[in-house]
Amino acid sequence: MKAAEVIPRNSLFWLLIVQFLVILPHLQYLPPWIIVLWLGCTWWRLRIFRMCAAYPNGWVKALLMLSTGLAIYVSHGTLIGLDAGAVLLMTAFILKTLEMRNRRDALIVIFLGFFAVVTGYLFDSGVLAAVYSLLPITALLAGMIGLYQNDSAGYRAPLRLAGSLLLQALPLMLVLFVFFPRLAPLWGMPQPAEQAVSGLAESMSPGEMVELSQSSELAFRVTFDGQLPAHENLYWRAITFERFDGQRWARSSNSYLAQEPKWEPQGEPLSYNIIIQPNGRSWLFSLDVPKIQADDARMMADFHLERRRPVDRALMYRTVSWPDSRREPSATSASLAASLQLPRQGNPRTRIWAEELRRSEPDPERLVQVLLRHFNQQPYVYTLKPLPVGENIVDDFLFQTRSGFCIHYAGAMTFILRAAGIPARVVGGYQGGELNPAGNYLSIHQFDAHAWVEYWLPERGWISIDPTFQVAPERIRTGLQQAMVQEQSFLEGDPLALHRYSGINWLNELRMAWDNVNYGWQRWVLNYQGDEQKQILQKWLGSFELRWDWLGIGLVLVLAVLSGSLALLLFKPWRSTPDLVQRLFLRYEKLLAGQGIVRQKHEGARAFAERAAQVLPDQAQAIRQFTGIYECTRYSGEPASPREMQQAFKALRDALFSRNHAKDRIH
Amino acid sequence: MAQLLMLLAAINYQNSLAYAVTFLLLSLSIVTILHTWRNLVGLELQAANVAPVFVGGQAMLGLRLESTKYAHRAIALGWSGSEMQLQEVAACSISNAELQLPALARGWLQPGRLRVESRFPLGIFMAWSWVDLEISALVYPRPLSGELPCLSGKDHEDETDGSRAEQAGVDDYRGLRPWQPGDAIRRLDWKAYSRGRGLLVKDFVALTGTELVLDFGKLSGDIEARLSLLCHWVLELDSVGQIFTLVLPGQTIGPNAGQLHREVCLRALALFGSGKKEGQA
Repeated sequence: MKAAEVIPRNSLFWLLIVQFLVILPHLQYLPPWIIVLWLGCTWWRLRIFRMCAAYPNGWVKALLMLSTGLAIYVSHGTLIGLDAGAVLLMTAFILKTLEMRNRRDALIVIFLGFFAVVTGYLFDSGVLAAVYSLLPITALLAGMIGLYQNDSAGYRAPLRLAGSLLLQALPLMLVLFVFFPRLAPLWGMPQPAEQAVSGLAESMSPGEMVELSQSSELAFRVTFDGQLPAHENLYWRAITFERFDGQRWARSSNSYLAQEPKWEPQGEPLSYNIIIQPNGRSWLFSLDVPKIQADDARMMADFHLERRRPVDRALMYRTVSWPDSRREPSATSASLAASLQLPRQGNPRTRIWAEELRRSEPDPERLVQVLLRHFNQQPYVYTLKPLPVGENIVDDFLFQTRSGFCIHYAGAMTFILRAAGIPARVVGGYQGGELNPAGNYLSIHQFDAHAWVEYWLPERGWISIDPTFQVAPERIRTGLQQAMVQEQSFLEGDPLALHRYSGINWLNELRMAWDNVNYGWQRWVLNYQGDEQKQILQKWLGSFELRWDWLGIGLVLVLAVLSGSLALLLFKPWRSTPDLVQRLFLRYEKLLAGQGIVRQKHEGARAFAERAAQVLPDQAQAIRQFTGIYECTRYSGEPASPREMQQAFKALRDALFSRNHAKDRIH
Repeated sequence: MAQLLMLLAAINYQNSLAYAVTFLLLSLSIVTILHTWRNLVGLELQAANVAPVFVGGQAMLGLRLESTKYAHRAIALGWSGSEMQLQEVAACSISNAELQLPALARGWLQPGRLRVESRFPLGIFMAWSWVDLEISALVYPRPLSGELPCLSGKDHEDETDGSRAEQAGVDDYRGLRPWQPGDAIRRLDWKAYSRGRGLLVKDFVALTGTELVLDFGKLSGDIEARLSLLCHWVLELDSVGQIFTLVLPGQTIGPNAGQLHREVCLRALALFGSGKKEGQA
C-alpha cells in the first residue's frame, strides 16, 4: 500500500458523516438491527483510526457478511426485490466503510453512498427529501475531495470546495435535466412494496367507506384549463360496484371489460390535468364522460378509465370530459343483467316496499323521484358514525337506524331500484375537492370519497343521481367538513391533520402554500418524463418542430457555452498580471532579455539592474533610472506615478534601440 | 460506470430525482475537468540543489515549484516507476519539494523526465505532464571497508615509523592530547568530553606526518570493488584529516586534504570510466 493511498483524516471524517446523513432518511423502513450494526461499525472504524483496534480479518468479514445476509433474509423473507435490495445496499455501505483501508476502498464507499441516495428517491421523492439529499451529496463530495487533499487542509476546506463545485455544476445539471430525452423504462424493475395506501378498494362494505373518509391523505390533484366547474358538479368516477352479496358491494364484471360503450360527445367539454398519487390501483379518475390522452389507458365498459399497470408512482394524465353526453342509450339486456343482480335472500322489507313502489309508480323516472323525496323528507341523518345494523343491512338502515354515510344511501337506493326492476349500480369515486387559490388547482383527498347511483333507462341511457344530496346537500355543495360541523366528526381520529384546523386562517394559508409547492414539484419535476417533457419543450419551441437530433446538437452547444463561461470564470485570463507597474517591469525584463540579459530567479531588481548596467554601460543611466522609479513605486509606499515609470521605460527602450542601430551600422 | 448504473436506475424507475443526481454527477465531471486542468496550469518547476549520494542510498533531488497565478493542490511528482509525492503550492508563491530516488549505480543519476500530475479535486480526471528538468545527481561508489594491501607512503624510507600503518589500521591512535586551535573538529573525542575530561583530540600514530597515496593500480579485483575500497579509504582518511593522494589511471589528485579534496576525489571515483571524467561541473 502506497503512502499516498492512505485515506486522509479529513476524508474519513466526512465519510463517517456521510454515513450518518445517508442512513438517516432510510431509517423509517430499515430494520432496527441496521442501527446497531451501523453504530457498532462506526465505533470500530473510529477505534481503527485511533490505532486502538485492528481491521477486521477475513473470518470476521465473512461472518459479518453472512450474518447480515441472514438477518435480511429473516426480516424480509427474501434477498431480492427493492426493499431487501435497499437494505442489502445499506449493509454493504456500512460494512465497506468499516473495512476501507485505501483510496480505492473509499471510492467504492462513495459510490455506494451515491447509490444509497438515489435508492432513497425511489421511496420518497418529495421536496423535503430532495432538499435534504443535498446534504449527503455535499458530504460525499467533501469526502471525495478529502481523498486527494493533504490532511493539512483541514475539515472545512473540502466542504467549501464541494459546495462551490456543486454550485458550478448546477447550471449544467439543469440544462441536462430539461433537455436530456427521457426514455421509456428499458425493463421492469422491482417496485417499492405496497405501503398501506388508503383509497377505494375493489369491493367495499359501508364500514370501510366510512373508515376511508377519516383519512386526510391526498388522492389526486386537478388543474382545469378553463373555468372551474361548481363544486356540486365534480363527481370523480373511479369504478362501479355492481355485485352485492348482502354485505359488500364489489366491482362489476363490466368494469373489467375493455370495450368502450356507445356514447356521443355532447355539450361543452371540460379539459383538465390530473396527477394521481400512487395508490396501487389501475383505475384513473375522471368526470363523465372522459376521453383520455394516454397510450396506456382506455375506457372500460362501465365508463371508467383503466390503466394497463397499477399506479405505483405519481402519474399525470390529461383528459377531456363531456358532462352532458348520453351514455349507452341502447344496451342489450345481457349487459344490463348484472345491474339487476340481487342476493337471493335478505332484506325482505325492502323488497316488499320496492314491489309496492313499482306498482304505484310504473314510470321509472317518477319512481326515482319518489325515492329521492323519501330520503329528503324522512328523518334521515348523514353521519360518519352510523348506528350499528344487523344481518339485513338495507332493511335496518331504511326502517330502523336511518343514519348513514353516502354508501348507505347509494347502496339502499340501488337495492330498491333493482328490486323494482330498474337496472342500477353504485358508482364509487370522489366528490368535490379543495381549491388552492394560489395554484388554482383542486386537491381531492381520501375524505372526499363518495358513492352515488346511476340507473339505466331505454333511449336515455345511464343517469346519475345522488341520494346523499337529498339528505345532506352541504356535503355536495361544499364538502365533508361543512357537512360534519355539527357532529364534529371530521377527521376525528387524526388530531394532527391540518385539515381540521382550516378555520385558523394563517395555518390554512400555510398548508395551502405548502401544498402548492408540492404540487408544483410533482408537476414540473417529478412528472417531467416522456410525453410531459415533449409537450413542455414543444410549448417553448412554439411553431418549430421538436426534433431530437436538433435538440441533441443544441444541448451540446449549450453545454459547451456554459462550460466555456465557467472556464472564463475559473481562469480569469483578464487578470493575468496584477498591476500596471508589474506589467511594465515584465516588459522591461523582456526588453533586456532581448539583449541577452535574463533576470535570474534569485536576483532582485537592483542586482539585476547593476548586472545589466555592466553589460550595457551606455544605457546604464536609463536602466538605473527605471529601476529606481520601480523600486520607489513598489517599496517606498509613496505612489510614484506610473506615467513617470512609463517615460523612464520609453527612454530606456529608445536608448537600446539606438544601440541596436549603431551595431547594425558597424556590421 | 457508476453514472451509467444510476442512469439505468433513473430510466427504469422513471425517477426524476435519480435523473437529476445522474446529471449532477455528469456536470460535476465536466466542471472537474476545468478544475483539474487549472490545478496544473501556470505551475513552473525548476531543479534546485541536489546532494551527492552513495550507491545504495537515496538521492534527494530538490525541486522548486512556483505558482504564477493559481493555487496548486495535491500536485503529485515523481519519476516513472517511483512513488509519487504530493506537494501543495499556494497561489503566487514558491514551495520546495525534495524527491527521493534510490541510487543504484555509480555515476550520474539521471532520472529523465519528471511526471507531474494532478487528480485534484475529485480524482475523476487526471491532468499530467512530463517535464524534463535536466536534473541529475552524482552517485559515489558504495564505500566498502577492507584492508588496503598497499597504502604506500611516498617517502616511506625517510620515516622510521608510521609507514606500516596498513597493518595496524588507521583507527589505532596513540592517545589523546589536549585540543589546540587548528585541530579538526571531527577528531575531537566527544565521549571524553561528555565524561567531563575536557576537550581532547585523538592523536593517530600511523598517520601523522605521512603523506599517503591511494593507488587504483596497486589494487586487485574488479573495478567496482576497487573503487568502493578507495571510496571507503578516501572517507576514512578525510575523517581524520589526513593528507593523501588519489591515483587513478590517467589522473592524479592531490596530495591534499580537506573537504574540497574529498569532493574532487569522490567525484573522480564516481565518474571513473564514464568517459567524461570532469564533465558537468
